[in-house]
Amino acid sequence: MKVEINGKMLNANEGETILELAKRNDINIPSLCHKKGFDGLGRCRMCLVEIKEGHRTKLVSSCVYPVKDELKVQTHTDEIIKIRKDIVMLMYLKSPKNKYVQKLAEEYEIMIPEKYVQKISDDCILCGLCVEACRELGTSAISMVNRGTGKKVSTPYDDESKDCIGCGSCAEVCPTNAITMTENENTRTIWNRTFELVSCEICGKNYTTLETLKYSENLLGQKIECICDECKKKITAATFKESFKNIY
Amino acid sequence: MSSQRQILVCCGTGCLANNSYEVYLKFKDLISNKEIQIKPIIKPTGCNGLCEKGPVVKILPDNISYFKVKAEDVEEIIEETIVKGKIIDRLLYFDTNTKNKITDHKNATFYKNQHKIAIRNIGEIDPSKIEDYIERDGYAALKKVLFTMKPEEVLEQVDKSNLRGRGGGGFPTGLKWKTCAKYNHYPKYVICNGDEGDPGAFMDRSIMEGDPNTVIEGMIICAYAIGANQGYLYIRDEYELARKNMQIAINSAREYGYLGKNILGRGLNFDLEIVRGGGAFVCGESSALMASIQGKVGEPRAKYIRSVERGLWDQPTILNNVETWANIPPIISYGPDWFKEIGIKNNFGTKVFSLVGKVKNTGLVEVPMGSSLRSLVFEIGGGVIKDKKFKAVQTGGPSGGCIPKEHLDISLDFDSLNEIGSMMGSGGVIVMDENTCMVEVARYYMEFLSEESCGKCTTCREGIKLMLDILTNITKGNGKEEDLDLLLGICDTVEKGSLCGLGQTAPNPVRTTIKFFRDEYLEHINNHKCPAGVCKNLTSYQINSEACIGCGICKKKCPVDAITGENKKLHVIHQDICITCGECYENCPTNAIEIGGGIFES
Ligand SMILES: Cc1cc2nc3c(=O)[nH]c(=O)nc-3n(C[C@H](O)[C@H](O)[C@H](O)COP(=O)(O)O)c2cc1C
Ligand code: SF4
Repeated sequence: MKVEINGKMLNANEGETILELAKRNDINIPSLCHKKGFDGLGRCRMCLVEIKEGHRTKLVSSCVYPVKDELKVQTHTDEIIKIRKDIVMLMYLKSPKNKYVQKLAEEYEIMIPEKYVQKISDDCILCGLCVEACRELGTSAISMVNRGTGKKVSTPYDDESKDCIGCGSCAEVCPTNAITMTENENTRTIWNRTFELVSCEICGKNYTTLETLKYSENLLGQKIECICDECKKKITAATFKESFKNIY
Repeated sequence: MSSQRQILVCCGTGCLANNSYEVYLKFKDLISNKEIQIKPIIKPTGCNGLCEKGPVVKILPDNISYFKVKAEDVEEIIEETIVKGKIIDRLLYFDTNTKNKITDHKNATFYKNQHKIAIRNIGEIDPSKIEDYIERDGYAALKKVLFTMKPEEVLEQVDKSNLRGRGGGGFPTGLKWKTCAKYNHYPKYVICNGDEGDPGAFMDRSIMEGDPNTVIEGMIICAYAIGANQGYLYIRDEYELARKNMQIAINSAREYGYLGKNILGRGLNFDLEIVRGGGAFVCGESSALMASIQGKVGEPRAKYIRSVERGLWDQPTILNNVETWANIPPIISYGPDWFKEIGIKNNFGTKVFSLVGKVKNTGLVEVPMGSSLRSLVFEIGGGVIKDKKFKAVQTGGPSGGCIPKEHLDISLDFDSLNEIGSMMGSGGVIVMDENTCMVEVARYYMEFLSEESCGKCTTCREGIKLMLDILTNITKGNGKEEDLDLLLGICDTVEKGSLCGLGQTAPNPVRTTIKFFRDEYLEHINNHKCPAGVCKNLTSYQINSEACIGCGICKKKCPVDAITGENKKLHVIHQDICITCGECYENCPTNAIEIGGGIFES
């Protein structure tokens, strides 16, 4: 399939989105709510691009728009650049104290209408990546609740969630560090719930929660050794080295 | 139709609120206990349209209509009208246009200019009796389809009629059906959109309550044409009576063999189920509605693959609005050429509007497309209440635009309304008079939309919020002229950057009010004055010394005793006490009270 982006002819694969195609070819389309391996969400609206269908042009979210043969795409028209700037400006009004958003505002050289900056800065930009991460894991402990400006990510009724396993994937994927996850000596607290931590059998560091371990064991149907990612890597590297030794 | 006398008591939601059910029961009670040679049949019907003058009672075949009927009037109506054939003058309709009392409501200006297709049966039948519907040619179209037409012929007829969806977008119904029919993966679904979330709109509600069978018939015809076996009626959460009447109609249709297995022995299997709406405005949007039926959060999704191909549960799906469905049986029965005689090019047929606001006759009206806005407001609507000055009409629901008096002759059709920056929406028409503040109107709609946006898109969620903040600032007297540029800039981003129709149309109220009423914005910003006297911070009242006759009415009406003055002498309003409630302004017999700017402290 042939798709033209910014005048360049590219080979596209059936079923991929415009954004995926662009990324594969090092064409930069900004996107805040997209992560490789996740379905496109179409929330942040930064990845809007202009497509030409017949004589008509229209703006579409490239993270969800499937490529079609002979599609023509523009990623940086004046109109699109203005919209992206406005989106960053709108995010800044809501999250003026957030480092990530501040950096974006600088990068996009945003003029801020100071009068309308919110007094209380909210770190969450509602990109939805945390909800996706949790859903991908199969736990779906958090979701978007409410609508309009009251929309937020939360556990059901803001209670401590019985589905949460405390794995912290949501916090890890969050671009703005909006999810508070605190750790004490032997516990981790996230989404109003405190979990017991387990330590690595090799280095002794706390590396995950008991619930996460049990959840993985359940999924795999077998016992898992308590080894943290770092130690696992070291072991793999060591085995690798060993096998190379045998070759040479 | 039977020649036996009928007494039709309107039991639409509006009339019910005014105790029409009591009137109905009283008729039943008194008639059954009375010695009359031929007893009249008494029927509760759906909405007659003139809700404000309800409860409405019609007597057939005499064609006498009574308005504002109370239970106490029932005995007199039986004694005088039913027994002696005399008309009770007091209960007749007073036509504000012709200044006449009218016996047969069909001669009233309100009804005379209407052309009823979608609401043809409402007010004429008892919606809980399928027999009433059948008596007025109900299910004749279905029989015609099942016994004499191939599915392709049905598609052809609907396509030829050029019917456009009445849910707001005006998408060609025939094209939608034809595309869906092409896909060969089954099952397919048929859905009726009865979510009607626009505040103040009640077209779809009236149809579902007053003539549920026409919707059902339309849906069965579609099922036959595209090859569907299951349908859903998605009905707004608050519409209890609509759900009840719909369920009764579904049950009756099953009994008559119009729904279920092997319909009328012609091999078609199709059934319907009612789904209760998710209770949010955005749930009326097609993809959010389907998500909601599937038990998911009512959030729109990008429709780059359309629902005719992959809709409900990813299967080919036809979604149409209630009024669209109600148009199908007549189009099949009388043919596309008949339909195209009504309305104007590209906009054939009629549209039902709910006419509300500062207009004398509020209610439900169905007029040919292409009728002028002026005739809707001033003929059918009878003009502005208290003969105040007309200011604007807002069409299309919360994200429609405001149309000023310079454009009153605009043709009511999908394209003309879009062109002027408003839209048809589902057909809400709100009339505004000189005492409406257009900045406040825009602010009000942004408040509604910021609460009703699903919150998915940054542009829609945060953009509408910013528009709301700016407008609130202006109504409080803190606006700057450059705020208007910021507003218009954000309008563009919200329109172009948002995923669904809600965000894409949300800027309409802001853009049209700035375009047509810029001076009013500037009065707020530069002179701290709300010319309509609505924004409290920007309003004060003064008494014009030449016009004041010292009658003292204002003094009596003022709730905080801010007015002093001796009898027959000039009165004065003390600004330090005045709370700018506007009571004096509304009640002064000589219009001596003038609206001034805000006594402004920043
Ligand atoms: C925010 C939003 C709300 C909507 N609400 C309704 C509604 O209440 N009823 C309706 O029929 N269509 C509504 N629509 C339009 C539907 O998405 C859809 O276009 C329509 O039901 C299709 O039917 P039609 O072709 O017969 O008009 C809404 C659209 C949007 C964007
Ligand atoms: S435009 Fe508004 S209502 Fe529509 S999907 Fe986006 S956020 Fe939701």
